[in-house]
Amino acid sequence: MSESTVAAAFDVYRYDPAHDAKPRYQRYTLNLSPHTPVLTALLRIRAEVDPSLALRYSCRSAICGSCAMQINSKSRLACETHIGPEMARHGRIVVEPMRNQPVLRDLVVDQAPFWRQYDRIEPHLRLDPAHPMPEGRPTPMTPEEVDRFKETPRCIACAACFSACPAVEADPEFPGPMALAKLYRFVVDPRDRAHQDRLVRIQPNGLWLCLRCHLCTEACPKDVRPSERIRDLKEMAIAVQGATENGSRHAVGFKENISERGVLNEMRLVRQTYGTVGLVGQLGQGLKIVRKKPEVARKPHPIEGVDELEKIYAALDPEPKEGP
Amino acid sequence: MRRHEVVVVGAGLAGQRAALAAVEAGREVAIVSKLHPLRSHSGAAQGGINAAVGAEDSVDTHIYDTVKGSDYLGDQDAIEFFCREAGPTVVEMEHFGTIFSRAPDGSLARRAFGGAGFPRTIYAADRTGLALLQGLWERLGTERFTLYQEWDVTDVVVRDGRVQGLLALDRRRGEFEEIAAKAVVLATGPAGRIYGRTTNAHSCTGDGLAVAYSAGAFLKDMEFVQFHPTALLETSILITEGARGEGGYLRNASGDRFMAKYAPHVLELASRDVVSRAIVTEVQEGRGFSGPYGGYVHLELMHLGQEKVESRLQEICDYCRHFAGIDPVTQPIPVYPAQHYMMGGVGTNSRGETNLPGLYSAGEAACVSIHGANRLGGNSLLETLVFGKQAGVAAAEYAATAPAPAMHATDLEEGTAAFRAWSSRTDGEDPSAIRNEMQQTMDRYVGIYRNEADLLEGLKRIRVLKQRYAKVRVVDQSRVFNLNLIDAIETGHMLDLAEVIVVGAYARTESRGAHYRTDYPKRDDAKWMRHTLAKRTPEGPNLSYAPVGYTRWEPKERVY
Repeated sequence: MSESTVAAAFDVYRYDPAHDAKPRYQRYTLNLSPHTPVLTALLRIRAEVDPSLALRYSCRSAICGSCAMQINSKSRLACETHIGPEMARHGRIVVEPMRNQPVLRDLVVDQAPFWRQYDRIEPHLRLDPAHPMPEGRPTPMTPEEVDRFKETPRCIACAACFSACPAVEADPEFPGPMALAKLYRFVVDPRDRAHQDRLVRIQPNGLWLCLRCHLCTEACPKDVRPSERIRDLKEMAIAVQGATENGSRHAVGFKENISERGVLNEMRLVRQTYGTVGLVGQLGQGLKIVRKKPEVARKPHPIEGVDELEKIYAALDPEPKEGP
Repeated sequence: MRRHEVVVVGAGLAGQRAALAAVEAGREVAIVSKLHPLRSHSGAAQGGINAAVGAEDSVDTHIYDTVKGSDYLGDQDAIEFFCREAGPTVVEMEHFGTIFSRAPDGSLARRAFGGAGFPRTIYAADRTGLALLQGLWERLGTERFTLYQEWDVTDVVVRDGRVQGLLALDRRRGEFEEIAAKAVVLATGPAGRIYGRTTNAHSCTGDGLAVAYSAGAFLKDMEFVQFHPTALLETSILITEGARGEGGYLRNASGDRFMAKYAPHVLELASRDVVSRAIVTEVQEGRGFSGPYGGYVHLELMHLGQEKVESRLQEICDYCRHFAGIDPVTQPIPVYPAQHYMMGGVGTNSRGETNLPGLYSAGEAACVSIHGANRLGGNSLLETLVFGKQAGVAAAEYAATAPAPAMHATDLEEGTAAFRAWSSRTDGEDPSAIRNEMQQTMDRYVGIYRNEADLLEGLKRIRVLKQRYAKVRVVDQSRVFNLNLIDAIETGHMLDLAEVIVVGAYARTESRGAHYRTDYPKRDDAKWMRHTLAKRTPEGPNLSYAPVGYTRWEPKERVY
């Protein structure tokens, strides 16, 4: 535990809508040991330099989820992001409020959009009077059943994933990674009696808007891996309902294209996704693309060794996925 | 003016459970909380929740262990009720949706905890508090009550001998408002930030205790402050007792499992006060390690094997890796005791009733007392739920027949005059300097080992800080999320509580549980088997004493 210090330069986003016409960045420089968390540094700034800096924080141990913010453009918890690596990589530490939620002041955002999505997935056990809980004793649940929750019980609702998610930015109706990971937690819960209904209802409401970019999994400080759970939800959704949504038809069509020819037939995929009637609605966009890249309109030849692909698919997915 | 039947302050486990009980009793309910409910400090509880549900265990053993753990200061009637409620409470939380760890046969998994005769602590990995908090919040549902999210309570208004409501600050708008209420339940949790070395979150500033004390409620047994034996060095982040429950060892610098000397029968699983004193003694007598953050000992998990450590102590692995840069699978964890829990709090009975009609309290903010002079691990989560429910039921019953609250037009004006003065001052002191000195004073003079000279010095210093606090200044002139103002409010709350702790500790000339006087090292049942009650006066806390509830457990010497 030898102590050397670094001169850490913080460029902190400052904005008070009541007083400031626009946001500005304020520079603070402190000598700190490299393993100092960014939160500790911000609290020192508050105590020793500038008591007017506004932020949320509480536990300082990555369990309350209060201090998520953008640190050098990544959604992180300030309490567990150390200044040494940030300084080494970026030469300064830019601290900004989370994204996809309006700024109230400085680093404090209005989390209403995030909580609204959480509430929307009905985050509580949905029971069926025909299957009451066992009277006076806990529901039996094996360790294997507990394992099915994966890491979702670790979620601390910090919203780092929501801040990092480009689908949330593109469409405010997208539930976002946390809400979907929470939905997964209920869909695999043996006590919940609404698995199918949950999977059916989430499909037109945003399950298929996920872009599969995995930025949520990268941002998550508790290793909840929301993007993997969203993938699981998609597989379970197709298992209970078949490919009935644009998103699920696209996924199934994509797989068919690749397994049959090893390459996408773009025209076919659009038809598979939207149906023949829906295809008409995509014509304008399609023509624009074809004008730029005429080759997409041609039916591609199968790639060499396409039969190998079938074996790969068979090995990856030996039997069809079951629902919850 | 805002008006509700029952207002619960604090939205951790106790507050949420009280709110749920009051809602289910048909009352109209609001929750006031300075954090989003899911960010409450209950979520930081790691190890587990006690319930004697094992075939070899019994409720009577749980009662006995709790009475003994309390060093015979716990009220035995309340403890009996508490332990009987344990099983049904855990089952209820399971039915609400809590995801507990399971044994291979599908039953609730249990682990050993300090001071317990059997493995009795039911858990959810090492994030039991988070699992319960999620389960309860999801059961409570947001549509059944009004949530004042990120509001700070600043006063409980008492008139005509009963509660009329409270004053609170909306952080987001920076406005103080009156909230009239027939009944108020204070469930604001810990006050650990009175100390510098604490496992508690920054938000744990004892606001509920302070406003209750100001309003004329008794604070009970405040001198009993629990120091958790194993907090990470430097940051004082908690390393759960579950780490020792799973088989972890404590070793000094010579490699000795020194607990053999202090608790030959149960070693590392002695009661927390015993283990904390042992660690401090080892370090003070030169057998600990030393480094830039002071003396420490090692908590070893390496012999448990990677699989067990990483599955049952998953969060602990993260804490060690992120906050101490060590891997507990292969390296010892440097630990030292830190303030962890207040056995004392707003004095209540088993129904959460205080001495003020209409005022209730539950959870760590309250003192029933079931923990007496020392709390057993695994009993605090249980306490939040058992007594949160009781307080909610009692508050709902009271509110059903209480007259409409009578707030006066001047209440808000008078209750917030001081805050306006702080913001208009052109000179004066920032609250953070006062807070830091208070924390250092409490660490140094009112810690694990106490004596008359230290306590007098501590009291003198706290009183000087209170004088300085009279000239506190808030420089931030913005309304939105003015943490400078909130710091000042919280610091005032904590200074009041610090004074009560020191005065109580000075008066209690014996050693019992977590209160250890080197100048009075023996327990003195004849004189001191009684609760301390502190009431606010302009000159400082006025102490009186109340008998301990006794049923059938004869006080004995406490040996582990």
